[in-house]
Amino acid sequence: MSNEEAVLQVEGLTKIYRSLFTPAGVKAVDDLNLSVRRGETYSIVGPNGSGKTTTLKILLGLIFPTGGTTSIFGKGISDLSVRARIGFLPEDAYLYDCFNGEELLDFYAGLFGFSSRRRAELVEELLSLVGMQANRRVPFRECSKGMRQRLALAQALVNDPELLILDEPTSGLDPAGRHQMTRLILELKRRGKTILLCSHFLAEVEEVCDRVGIMYRGRLVAEGTLAELAGEPTEILITVTGLEGAAAEKVGGQAGVMEVRDGVVRMSKADEGQLWAVLEFIHRAGGVIVEVTRPRPTLQDVFVRAIGEEAK
Amino acid sequence: MSAALGKLLFIIGLAIVAAVVAITRKAWAPAAGHALPSIWRIAKITVAEARRRRVIQAVMVLVVMIIVSMNFFSYLSPHEQSRMLISGGLASITVFGILLSIFVAAFMIPQEIENRTVYAILSKPVRRFEFVMGKYLGALIILGAIIGILTVVLVGVLVFQDRLVQDLPDSKFDPNLGPVVFAAIMSYFALAVLTALIILISTVASTTMTVLSAFIIWAVGSLQSQIYELAENAAGATKLLLFIIYNVVPKLENFDFRHQVSNMMPVSVISGWHAVIHGIGYTLVVLILAAIFFNDRQV
Ligand SMILES: Nc1ncnc2c1ncn2[C@@H]1O[C@H](COP(=O)(O)OP(=O)(O)O)[C@@H](O)[C@H]1O
Ligand SMILES: [Mg+2]
Repeated sequence: MSNEEAVLQVEGLTKIYRSLFTPAGVKAVDDLNLSVRRGETYSIVGPNGSGKTTTLKILLGLIFPTGGTTSIFGKGISDLSVRARIGFLPEDAYLYDCFNGEELLDFYAGLFGFSSRRRAELVEELLSLVGMQANRRVPFRECSKGMRQRLALAQALVNDPELLILDEPTSGLDPAGRHQMTRLILELKRRGKTILLCSHFLAEVEEVCDRVGIMYRGRLVAEGTLAELAGEPTEILITVTGLEGAAAEKVGGQAGVMEVRDGVVRMSKADEGQLWAVLEFIHRAGGVIVEVTRPRPTLQDVFVRAIGEEAK
Repeated sequence: MSAALGKLLFIIGLAIVAAVVAITRKAWAPAAGHALPSIWRIAKITVAEARRRRVIQAVMVLVVMIIVSMNFFSYLSPHEQSRMLISGGLASITVFGILLSIFVAAFMIPQEIENRTVYAILSKPVRRFEFVMGKYLGALIILGAIIGILTVVLVGVLVFQDRLVQDLPDSKFDPNLGPVVFAAIMSYFALAVLTALIILISTVASTTMTVLSAFIIWAVGSLQSQIYELAENAAGATKLLLFIIYNVVPKLENFDFRHQVSNMMPVSVISGWHAVIHGIGYTLVVLILAAIFFNDRQV
């Protein structure tokens, strides 16, 4: 199935930064293995300094690995035909700041050898896609962070790339900007692009990605779809009002109840059989049942768990 | 090394380069079809960016004002005045040309890396050497425009002054225009060589180190004949070191015709061409090294 085809592959990737001051080196990426399939949105999530940017820069040939290999479309990044099919949004992207959006996009499109008429069309399409038509003449220097980020994304799209590599696309944006960027990524995903993005911001990723790799200290500590990573619900929460002191304590003593606190009764998922009995008991004790939920662990929980295991 | 041996080696080197180019023509011709447009686009945006730099504009205005204001030393005799205008004008062009070329070239690549603008370019189908060559070509165009404008201003001032004093009895004002333009063109070639070397350094060093080395090269390059004399009279390791410096640092003084031109002496166009041809060979080697170094640069 062509959907299973790996578009991007990373094998045993290691990167050690050495400098005069750190002769021993900083191991930024440590034996990393990764594969992104055609059409999927894969997100590398990890705290700052976990090696995400380093990995992406190696993929793009901006820096060179200490060990291991990377390939995109089955070829090395030094192959120009590969770079013609990818788009890259750098972290905290910055473009030539004395030019405006129109001029910048025209320049970047020119690097792919498009004719001036094709470039003019492209500039229109891209400005409208990223919502920068009204601000097309504002020099990059005077653009807000959100406008800059959208122009930088447009810059990555001039060649209508099959694979997009986005480094922290929403970080540093205000809520409105973040929402706009998330919608753009969803739109690109809808258009069938393969996307590899990285973020230290979990909530953003949940909305857009198919698979997540959790990176910590240069290693991938967990990987899978959101459901796989989050796993099955582990507890049942009953939200109650009208349960006072002694009554609440009595509910706490019921079989299957783990805890009663701040109007929430917690039960283990394993004791689901006791649920009706507990609900009835609460009812008879004068409590009003507001809600019963079986929450899945959030990605945040998964993340903290994965990192916790790694740290041990 | 004697001058004749140097020339012979140079001609042999040129022949080898020509032969290699001719034999490998088929291999690189298609690649050049891609490289030349990329180089040109990067050069163009570099020039466009420089045109919007206030610093360059301010310095240009300053130099134009200096050249024009030199006209007001009216206590000099017309003949002295023409000499003073020519030497002062050419000195301004040379000195500010060098300062601007250091400013332009030393910051070009390091700033792209510091500002992160380089990522959006090198992640596109642009080869590293195309980026370096584009930057160099851009610098050549910028410096050409700067030297060109200043030369036109100097020529204008000389023509104006000539008109003003030509009715005076026994004027002897000599605008010496041909040699003045020649000297300006030669100082442009000196900048072209210096700029290539600065770019080479900037592919490995930080901005500060690059600027510092640029000034040292300027100083050493302008004193090459003294260094040669020092080397002749030195011994051992010092002699070797001085000879290495003499042969590696470009001989900027070979491009300097200010003295002859302002003293109305005849200029040797041949020695000018010698310097230019030598400079082109030198620049090619420097640019190839710059491309190789930048290829391995982690950005
Ligand atoms: N150019 C560099 N030189 C030395 N160390 C670096 C360099 N770039 C990143 N690092 C170090 O490598 C580690 C990973 O950094 P990075 O890849 O930027 O992480 P992330 O993008 O996940 O925040 C960090 O410890 C960082 O300090
Ligand atoms: Mg990062």
